Amino acid sequence: MSRILVVDDAATVRMYHRKILGDAGWHIEEAINGLEALEKVHALSADQPFDLFVVDINMPKMDGYSFVRELRKLQDVPQAPVMMVSTEAQVQDATAAQDAGANCYLIKPAKPQELVLTAALLLGDGDAALKAAEGVSA
Amino acid sequence: MGLKKTSDNVGLRKIAARDYGRDGHGLLEQLQDPDVSTRRWAARDLVQHPNLMRELCERLPQEPELSVREVMFTTLSQVGGAAVVSGLLPLLRSEDANLRNGAIETLSGLPDEVAGSIDGLLKDSDVDVRIFTLNLLGDLRHPRVVEWLGQALRLDAHVNVVAAALEVAAEVGSDALLPAVKSARARFASDPFIGFAADLAEQRIQGS
Amino acid sequence: MKTAALDTPVITDADFQKFREFFYRKTGIQFDDGKRYFVDKRLIERIEATGSDNFRQYFVGLRFETKGEELQALVNAMTVNETYFFREQYQFECLVNSMMDEVASRRKAGQRIRIWSIPSSTGEEPYSIAIYLLERWPRINDYDVEILSSDIDTQVLQSAQRGLYTPRSIANLPKPYLNKYFKEQKDGQWLISRDLVDAVEFSRVNLSDVNDTRKFRDIDVIFCRNLLIYFDDLSRRMAAEAMFDALRPGGFVCLGHSESMSRISSLFTVRRFPDAMVYQKPLEGGA
Repeated sequence: MSRILVVDDAATVRMYHRKILGDAGWHIEEAINGLEALEKVHALSADQPFDLFVVDINMPKMDGYSFVRELRKLQDVPQAPVMMVSTEAQVQDATAAQDAGANCYLIKPAKPQELVLTAALLLGDGDAALKAAEGVSA
Repeated sequence: MGLKKTSDNVGLRKIAARDYGRDGHGLLEQLQDPDVSTRRWAARDLVQHPNLMRELCERLPQEPELSVREVMFTTLSQVGGAAVVSGLLPLLRSEDANLRNGAIETLSGLPDEVAGSIDGLLKDSDVDVRIFTLNLLGDLRHPRVVEWLGQALRLDAHVNVVAAALEVAAEVGSDALLPAVKSARARFASDPFIGFAADLAEQRIQGS
Repeated sequence: MKTAALDTPVITDADFQKFREFFYRKTGIQFDDGKRYFVDKRLIERIEATGSDNFRQYFVGLRFETKGEELQALVNAMTVNETYFFREQYQFECLVNSMMDEVASRRKAGQRIRIWSIPSSTGEEPYSIAIYLLERWPRINDYDVEILSSDIDTQVLQSAQRGLYTPRSIANLPKPYLNKYFKEQKDGQWLISRDLVDAVEFSRVNLSDVNDTRKFRDIDVIFCRNLLIYFDDLSRRMAAEAMFDALRPGGFVCLGHSESMSRISSLFTVRRFPDAMVYQKPLEGGA
């Protein structure tokens, strides 16, 4: 079962992502900022690595871009796709996300179908992608 | 070899005279010293000069080292006061995420002092400033908190600001907010996240 | 007139969720649904102890207190606080299997390796470190190692220097170490060897007081376990900054197993060793 780490300082957003992605059949873990996310990556990378990261941008202590940059520097943990989800809609943020090493960028609040479909594509989960294309509700 | 006692306090640094009662303006100068450790100590010792907080805030964007910035923010947090608030509010708009987040964190620790600025902040054109302000309301004990939250729920045009208001409403949990929560839900009827957040707020308000 | 039964506060599902999120946000400690009974029981105790009428009133008080005393009491209630020899042993394993070798590799000739244990409490931690180094670090005879240990409470420091321990406190020690470093007393307590007491430099330190901590420099490893969890946000930051300044570049910090720098400071880098995850002061740049 694919494992997803949801990183966001807002509890409601974490719950929302957990519900939607969890209902799609994936295992969800949470972190409230980039630092905690890195710790969970380190703690779990040996036997339970993450297959996908869903990451907010504005977070205290360590923001989303910094987290992705640090993640990409790590030699001894398996890398995984990063979906950035943020309120900022400017074009430069999509570039910044890419520069940091993320794979794609969604604008908050993400629609359930969009979230699942994008996650499924990044995870290479064909079944989930098909289901999502057929229609998903929150 | 092996375990050795620290005899004569050899390893413990002698406290130099310069560590104490250093002149405030001397400390401000030391904030520009090429040595990182010197700058950090100057930032720390400025806590004894509460009259220099405006200057300290002004130095923040000029400081490249995160470890020094962190100590500067800590000093500002310890001192608090109106000068700190007015010095940090402009940083809420900074392009530099580290400065912005540092300002948010520091101001979040001074809710009573920020209270006087909330009316203005809630009308700020910058969405992130309004979101920060709403998050602050969760930590603020003030007779107008419910009013401010209600206002954002009923009137703010931006979905993410309303989302932040719903999140705080869920924690603040006042029955008086139920109509405003309903209003938010109705205004963003097609947004599943707002529906989700409104459900949650109602559950938490009514379930307690 | 209310009866005792009617007075007992009730924790609803919504209350539990609110509390859980708040506690996770503040401390990083997560309670899953399975811990409901554990949490409810202690919440009710705190509600009653603070004279609150119900959860809602208690929660408001908790969120708005200025100094964080009730949060501390709450954290105390929710966590297990016992101290004993070889507590959270995996960190001592990490010390002798990984951290000491890395520190030694950077040691210049004549430089001592310095370890700081704070709080010392009644001494179990610094003495555990000493025993581990003597027994489990192959290179202990090649280097001079200092163990510094501090606590804010002078009574506890005195107790540490007396070195008398209960059977419960030494229960986790392998028998050979117990027999080598302790002597059983007539009253069933165990007295630690004078050599170990003399090997540790004890001092009274308030980690929140910059004037106390500025004396500590060139430390290679700090053990600060299950202390910061009881501090308010600002004091925790200050403590983390004090530790940062006390460390040599490349030095390590070990926090308690349920503690994390993630809510405190971004100054440190996470290092994952086979035995434990610890924090490190960056090597370059920061002096």
